[in-house]
Amino acid sequence: MALDIRKVVVLGANGAMGAGSAMVFAAAGIPTTLLARTRDKARLGQARVEKLAKSEAISRFLSVGTYDDDLDREVAAADLVFEAVSEELALKRAMFGRIDGVRRPGALVATVSSGLSIAGLCAERSDDFRRHFLGIHFFNPPNVITGCELVPHAGTDPAVTAELAASLRDRFGRALVRTADTPAFCGNRVGFELLNRCAQLALEHGPAELDLLIGPHTGRAMAPLATIDFVGWDVHRAIVDNLHAHTSDEAHASFALPVYMDLLIDAGHLGDKSGELGGFYRRLGQGKEAQRFVLEPRSRDYLPAAKLAVPPVVAAMKRLHRVGRYREAMAVFADEPSPAAALMRRVILGYVSYGLGRVGEVVEQVADVDRIMGQGFNWAPPGLLVDLIGARRTIALLEQAKLPVARLLVDAAERGAHLHTEPGDPGRYFVA
Amino acid sequence: MTAPVFILGGYQTDFARNWTKEGKHIAAMIREAVQGALAVTGVEPGEIEVGHVGNFAAELYAMQGHLGAFLVDVDPGFAGLPTGRHEAACASGSIALLAATAELEAGRYELALVVGVEQMKTVSPAQGGDYLGTAAWYELEAKGVEFPFPKLFGRLGDEYDKRYGLRDEHLAHIAAVNYDNARRNPRAQTRSWYMSEDHARGGGPYNATIGGRIKISDCSQVTDGAVAVLLAAPAYAERWAARRGTRLDALARVEGWGHRTAPLTFDAKIAESAGAPYVLPHTRRAIEDAFRRARVADVWSLSGIETHDCFTTSEYMAIDHFGLTAPGESWKAIEDGVIDFDGKLPINPSGGLIGAGHPVGATGVRQLLDASLQVTGAAGGYQVPGARRFATLNIGGSGTTSCVFVVGR
Repeated sequence: MALDIRKVVVLGANGAMGAGSAMVFAAAGIPTTLLARTRDKARLGQARVEKLAKSEAISRFLSVGTYDDDLDREVAAADLVFEAVSEELALKRAMFGRIDGVRRPGALVATVSSGLSIAGLCAERSDDFRRHFLGIHFFNPPNVITGCELVPHAGTDPAVTAELAASLRDRFGRALVRTADTPAFCGNRVGFELLNRCAQLALEHGPAELDLLIGPHTGRAMAPLATIDFVGWDVHRAIVDNLHAHTSDEAHASFALPVYMDLLIDAGHLGDKSGELGGFYRRLGQGKEAQRFVLEPRSRDYLPAAKLAVPPVVAAMKRLHRVGRYREAMAVFADEPSPAAALMRRVILGYVSYGLGRVGEVVEQVADVDRIMGQGFNWAPPGLLVDLIGARRTIALLEQAKLPVARLLVDAAERGAHLHTEPGDPGRYFVA
Repeated sequence: MTAPVFILGGYQTDFARNWTKEGKHIAAMIREAVQGALAVTGVEPGEIEVGHVGNFAAELYAMQGHLGAFLVDVDPGFAGLPTGRHEAACASGSIALLAATAELEAGRYELALVVGVEQMKTVSPAQGGDYLGTAAWYELEAKGVEFPFPKLFGRLGDEYDKRYGLRDEHLAHIAAVNYDNARRNPRAQTRSWYMSEDHARGGGPYNATIGGRIKISDCSQVTDGAVAVLLAAPAYAERWAARRGTRLDALARVEGWGHRTAPLTFDAKIAESAGAPYVLPHTRRAIEDAFRRARVADVWSLSGIETHDCFTTSEYMAIDHFGLTAPGESWKAIEDGVIDFDGKLPINPSGGLIGAGHPVGATGVRQLLDASLQVTGAAGGYQVPGARRFATLNIGGSGTTSCVFVVGR
């Protein structure tokens, strides 16, 4: 059964996640109130929703207000209160304290937090609040990226979780995954393991070289270090620090933020959003006149971007992807003997191993980790990579790389079964 | 029909994809669609006896001709396969289907592969609009004209307005229904886009006028897509059904077809139909031909229609031409909710060209595949409950080539 959600209140509606989430609710025809610190900020959120929806008509479902003037009244009338304020524990907790005082019993409260403990966020709240509190982790921008994690904590009413899951799937068109209330949930845990490992490897191999090697031909829309620049280095640091502090599995070392990143963040280098300071990449000027630079992590200097020779293994994979021969491209990936190919395998197989290893801990099935990596990150999911490489061949490669081999992978190899069961064109992940 | 043609199944690529951004050659599109169709049907490549490809303008969009030959590249089992490519603008896919069904009916082959494909996001919208102009009489109607087709189909609306009156709010409803249906279809291009009837009625920066009375919301999409279907003569279909543990009468079949060509220029079409009840009489004849061949008593014996809605005006035309209303009264079916997803005769449960997308040469094949999924209860989220019989209408140019199929079970 799906919930009867007739009114949504979004807190932090001027931010990217707040506005993007508000668009998802309003697009389903639900009256949605955008709250922010000031009315102007809330109106900014409304303009963002219109821009995302490419429609002024969507504003028919929107209203705006401020925390000071409107929160109590609006929250009291809401069926779902959706919190998307800054990712600061104290701020969020204070907000939930206020909401707890005015919400009506039975009203849902959700946080869009990308990794804070859901149980921790509601620890001091009333019983009714806690029973109706969950994490709804949308990916940015939620109107385009449908992947979504639903994160109940131990005290969430299971009926609430089930009904909200049905609503997110059927009414809001989400590619939904239910995850445990573990650090960074599933998508960011698996995704940032690969991203931060690439940031670590950049120290030895160079950012541009690494992005070329682990580029879109390995099954992603954007190369890893360019992705960190896009996400923002501060956000990256918050996520991997959280994972490093609160997980202790085989990938623990992968979550240690490289020292060069720490130093550069403190100097204001946050990636794309820090303008000419840049991140792994820096661009001075605009358009054709722009000069491009690449970070040299050891010296933390920026050197002019050089035209790099494409490693033969990358060129061969791209040629095959271009004509739709994905399985053959992954055979090249698995078999090519060059050091470049070996490094590529080390990174990608680490992702496959770590992703499959979270099944049973963070999510229930391979389909879950495949769905969130595919629909949330737009990365070729671990199960699909196994199917294309072949389960037996993958096991051999994992053993060779001394990476953990999930029991379910061994089972699949023995049964000759496919791991990837998600719908959609597998070819869409592989960019030539 | 001499012998029935069965539709074993097929595969549609996700119409939201941008294959140019993926760095893909059109060969990859054909390959994915064909491999998908083989996987869905369990047919071995070596069993297929002939291949037909429908495509409008790969020479322009992708600098590539001779598309039939790309089928052979898909699998070693296709070595030596007889192939060809067919073109009739936006009806190219249906022309490929007609060629295949004719060969199967004639007993020349027992199992045919038909692929419709178009890669359109290789060029800018303006350049693409110019290429599409070659589906009209280019020198007379499109050369030097920005976005000629919205203007031509705007004129179709104007002609309705002149003869019978036309209110833009009815066109807005057509747009809203197609977008709404697309949300049910996991392969539809616009499945996550925002649309509402309010939005479609309004103008402003987000719904600008493209040409004449046509706004952005009235238009189908620029789409990359490929669709493959497997068509079989009775003997193969029977063996295949037995192999799949099903019965011949559980398979979708082509019950009838219609195919007519009107004069190429829009002026000539309108001059020809002046004073007549149907604005596009050759389209009406194609529908009547298909109904007669399929022994369809009237349109109400259909469970639904997948029609050509390159613009809302073309669907408006299809409503009265199919006979849902008297000529000029399409608005009545719109106001009564007849064409809605849960209406008496839903049109475009897939989302149509406006919602699902319009990869030009693939559209006719996509329509036939969707019709076959509907009548076999396999359409998933956009299944019309209990559907037994669907019709398709695929149009090339400004109502120039009209192709109709009736698909039943």
